[in-house]
Amino acid sequence: MPDPTPDPRGARVDLSPRRSGRRRPFLPFLHPIVPRLCLVALLLSPALAPTQEARSAGGMIRGRVEVRREVGGSEGRPAVGELGHHAPRDTPDRRRSVVYLETAPQAAFEAPAPGRAILDQRNETFVPYVLAITVGSTVDFPNSDRVYHNVFSLSKTRRFDLGRYPRGESRAVRFDQPGVVRVFCEIHSHMSAFILVFAHRFFATTDAEGRFRVDGVPPGPYTLAVWNDGSVRDRREVRVASAGDVVEQDFVVE
Amino acid sequence: MKPSCRRAAAFLGAFVACLAAAGAGAEEPVSFFGGRLRLGGEVSGTIAPKDEGWFNYSDYELSTLRLFRLDLAAEARLASFAEVLFEARSDNLRAPEVYALYLRLRPWADRAVDLQAGLVPPVFGAFARRRYAYENPLPSLPLAYQYLTSLREDAVPSRAEELVALRGHGWLVRYPVGSPDSAPGLPLVNGEKWDAGLELRLGRQPLSLAVAVTQGTLSYPVVRDENGGKQVAGRLAWTPSPALEAGISAASGEFLSREVEDVLPPSARGTFRQKALGLDLQWSAGYWIVRGEAVWSRWNLPALDATRIEDPLDALGVYGEVRRKVRPGLFVAGRVERLGFSEIATVLGPTTWEAPVTRVEAGAGWTPTRHVVVKASWQHNWRDGGRVHENDLVAGQLVLWY
Repeated sequence: MPDPTPDPRGARVDLSPRRSGRRRPFLPFLHPIVPRLCLVALLLSPALAPTQEARSAGGMIRGRVEVRREVGGSEGRPAVGELGHHAPRDTPDRRRSVVYLETAPQAAFEAPAPGRAILDQRNETFVPYVLAITVGSTVDFPNSDRVYHNVFSLSKTRRFDLGRYPRGESRAVRFDQPGVVRVFCEIHSHMSAFILVFAHRFFATTDAEGRFRVDGVPPGPYTLAVWNDGSVRDRREVRVASAGDVVEQDFVVE
Repeated sequence: MKPSCRRAAAFLGAFVACLAAAGAGAEEPVSFFGGRLRLGGEVSGTIAPKDEGWFNYSDYELSTLRLFRLDLAAEARLASFAEVLFEARSDNLRAPEVYALYLRLRPWADRAVDLQAGLVPPVFGAFARRRYAYENPLPSLPLAYQYLTSLREDAVPSRAEELVALRGHGWLVRYPVGSPDSAPGLPLVNGEKWDAGLELRLGRQPLSLAVAVTQGTLSYPVVRDENGGKQVAGRLAWTPSPALEAGISAASGEFLSREVEDVLPPSARGTFRQKALGLDLQWSAGYWIVRGEAVWSRWNLPALDATRIEDPLDALGVYGEVRRKVRPGLFVAGRVERLGFSEIATVLGPTTWEAPVTRVEAGAGWTPTRHVVVKASWQHNWRDGGRVHENDLVAGQLVLWY
């Protein structure tokens, strides 16, 4: 359970290459190499959600992220060597965002609750496009397509290559460091996804309407950041006055 | 500045502009008009010691192991059923050449029927459609798709002895009938150039059939018909599971140019075709990809003076290739291949009309970031003829793509 008392040694979670707080960066990734492109969506695995006990111990930050910027589909290289049109495929939901606390009580970082999440490969698309998890969590990568996929990442946070495996099979990867992990398929160049690995649990992925809710936030001042499609798009200062307090904060991503 | 230099400079400028537009670290191709126009590109540099045996020279009189290549590709979606595809290449900063330019149509949205017309990808075999250096685990090309034999489409020997005298000299050939110039010979299948024509693909998985009618032949693809006949080629592909794909191909087309046919005596005139059969196989699972391909080709030449070339000239190219990932971003690969030729009669007795070649190549590749591949390989060649019978080459290749 997080310490309800704001900790003056609170650490910063910085997803931006442009800002480096004086305090310890928990997500130092988003190095220029991290694409600014795409974004989409996904919900947090129920296993990763704050417990009821934790929720009752703090306040709530909620709101809506309106993505006005143009988000394209997911395209691969020009298919000049093909003998015809490619098979129909889904378009990833790149409007989904992740909202998180850049600063949080130190105690919250000490015992993140690892969980298990799924990043599916369906109709030549990673579903969800963005997955937010806590450090120590394991992600399953099932293949739901009739064709092979080969999931890999060369991100510094976690390098892995799962090889080729057919429909009905799955591989799992554990993420032990905070950061952004860019995921690709070696066979299908249009397939990509993001995994955001947090050192604390104060984050939420927006739903289909852009709404988010971060529960169990101990009273105190925080910087609330919104990440969309490869970049930190905005930051706002918020204050949770007391346990049970509800803070409303909306974002517009342009 | 020469016009060709200006074109090369313009191409280089366009390439760099696209790269800049993509942005450092960008993970997707450059696109415009809401994704209706997409650009992709590749720059590759391959370095190796001088290939004294000319084992790796392609039909452009360039060594595939001493090559700086800029490649720019575009895909424009005109409608849900129509696309235009384009690709241009510049080798060693020469004037760029159009490699592909065709219209792709899907007349019925709910049926797996595709039509392509223009400078189209070959339906024969498997390797020629893996056009990016990124998709080739080794810096070199398979012998069947690159090695220059002593045959030419625009000049022919009058006697068998003239043909066998040039065994192992395919990089520069001259014959008395037809073009008087010296020029490189032909590979079994040209992996560096595409043919112009019309092609149709039916079905997708597990069974699909692609057929094409084109101007040139496998050995000598052309834009304008120079040989008085069309080539018909086809490939039947079978994919029983994601792990396995097998294909069987066939092609037949007239390959001698009019320049030769016009100077042949009436008694020697006829139809001179290249016929080919191909078999390709790919199996993959986990960290392994195993590929194999066999290409058999037959050419007919006019029978002129004694010793007359009465029998058709056959060639068989076979290779097996394997790639194994050993850790994220790192792989090892190897290829073993053999190019064999049929025998013809000469005054000194029967001999193969070209010098058989065997090649073994092993290498490794490293992908530090998604858009960069660094490869290194060692290659050993054996040849039963020519000035150099055997050599070793160490090659390095850097590939950047977006």
